[in-house]
Amino acid sequence: MDHSAYIDAAAATLGLKIATEHRPGVLQFFGLAAGMAALVHGLPLEPVDESGNVFRPVSPVGEEAS
Amino acid sequence: MSVEDASTTAAQVRSGALSARAAVERSLARITASDGVVNAFTAQLAERALKRADMLDVHPQREKMSLAGVPFAVKNLFDIAGLPTLAGSKIERDAAPAKRDALLVRRLEARGAVLVGALNMDEYAYGFSTENTHYGPTRNPHDPSRISGGSSGGSAAAVAAGQVPLSLGSDTNGSIRVPASLCGVFGLKPTFGRLPRVGSYAFAASLDHLGPFARTVQDLALAYDAMQGPLQGRPSDDPACAQRPVQPTLPLLEQGAQGLRIGVLGGWFREMALAEANGAVDAVAQGLGTTRLVELPEVERARAAAFLITNAEGATLHLKDLRGRAQDFEPLSRDRFLAGALLPAVWVQQAQRVRHWFARRVAMVFENVDVLIAPATPCVAPLIGTDWLQIGDKRLPARASMGLLTQPISCIGLPVVTVPLWGMSIEAPHLPIGVQLIAAPWREDLCLRVAAQLQAQGLCSAPVAKGL
Repeated sequence: MDHSAYIDAAAATLGLKIATEHRPGVLQFFGLAAGMAALVHGLPLEPVDESGNVFRPVSPVGEEAS
Repeated sequence: MSVEDASTTAAQVRSGALSARAAVERSLARITASDGVVNAFTAQLAERALKRADMLDVHPQREKMSLAGVPFAVKNLFDIAGLPTLAGSKIERDAAPAKRDALLVRRLEARGAVLVGALNMDEYAYGFSTENTHYGPTRNPHDPSRISGGSSGGSAAAVAAGQVPLSLGSDTNGSIRVPASLCGVFGLKPTFGRLPRVGSYAFAASLDHLGPFARTVQDLALAYDAMQGPLQGRPSDDPACAQRPVQPTLPLLEQGAQGLRIGVLGGWFREMALAEANGAVDAVAQGLGTTRLVELPEVERARAAAFLITNAEGATLHLKDLRGRAQDFEPLSRDRFLAGALLPAVWVQQAQRVRHWFARRVAMVFENVDVLIAPATPCVAPLIGTDWLQIGDKRLPARASMGLLTQPISCIGLPVVTVPLWGMSIEAPHLPIGVQLIAAPWREDLCLRVAAQLQAQGLCSAPVAKGL
């Protein structure tokens, strides 16, 4: 799959300039990540399958557990 | 020049048989003699170290210090007061000097250890080879034509070269276990959240771990025990720190593997390894008397999850510099960082969900087994500059593939001790290769006990490299 159009649009949105000499590498690594994304999206998950990234609330200094 | 381990040095300094100054001078001399070849150090701290050694030599509590006079060094992503924290980069040379040492450095020094320098690494920890373009490659002490592994390559090489008996590194996807394997030293990646990361430069915070390297299991446990404990004062400085109490491991080592259920990981961990790696696992399994085979579900997807989370978090951290000075990044990782900034959010969010799914499935496996065995790297250390690796019918990028067998494990934060074996490669019998000993969360003690038994059996060892 050709990700060029997406990469150009996303880079422009982020204000990220992709120099000509970096472009082949960026395309290669984005393609690699796309393959990884296909793998993680290929696992059937249910709404109960929560994120591994869990937030921990922060108490005021002095009240934090130590 | 004699090269003592940390436990021996500390015992000698405690008893007065050796001064801390002499121990530090010995380490500094070894660094001077060998680092022209190895290139492990990016900064040497002779003045600071000797000053501290002199202070220790008249310290009234010296006899009680578990690491009295033990020289150590740290990956240069740990803060060292007065130095910019490079994290292997050119960009951070412009950063303000650190105001104080990283917390783990302070904890080791509080036990009498002496920091002697900072160590080379892959830029921003994004690599498995320490072929750092800015500071030169760290060479494998057992064969300087080969990589040391990474990203904590300097940390493993300094220990393998006998420059220091102890070092610290970080592991996000394998950066302790890969160089430990390729340099033939012991390495501990504790459970995610066990050791506080205050004063260290992050790579991908939801996956970053810190841990020690050493030449014996006893030294590994000694250092690990000295660094354990909850964050005092402001725990939110490291929101991932689990605030666990100290659980000493050193007194438990004598128990060895007695009573433990040990399994060998199959599937992905067998298929993505060359003969020398599988041979090392077989030797360990035989030594421990186990034939139990265990297969984890969806390992490749777990590895993919770690890849995506790392790519996105790493790029987010460096977005400002990727926008403004991309040309100053390490050429070997710059394009990966740029690509990581562009990942759709749903890829990363799904990766985090897969991570949690995988962690829950593996927890079920640990209901029936205590320690799992797997190779740490697919092969022994490749030659510096190697671009491709052949595994079966797969031609894979060599540098990234060094983490194929470590990434799925750190993805879910399990504790791992990497133990070195020798003579497993027919083509390169002089090179070591590591085996991962993996346990359920918070059971570092089990990994260390099994490692201690393997060491006692003579199956695993970390000799100082010859000829340096």
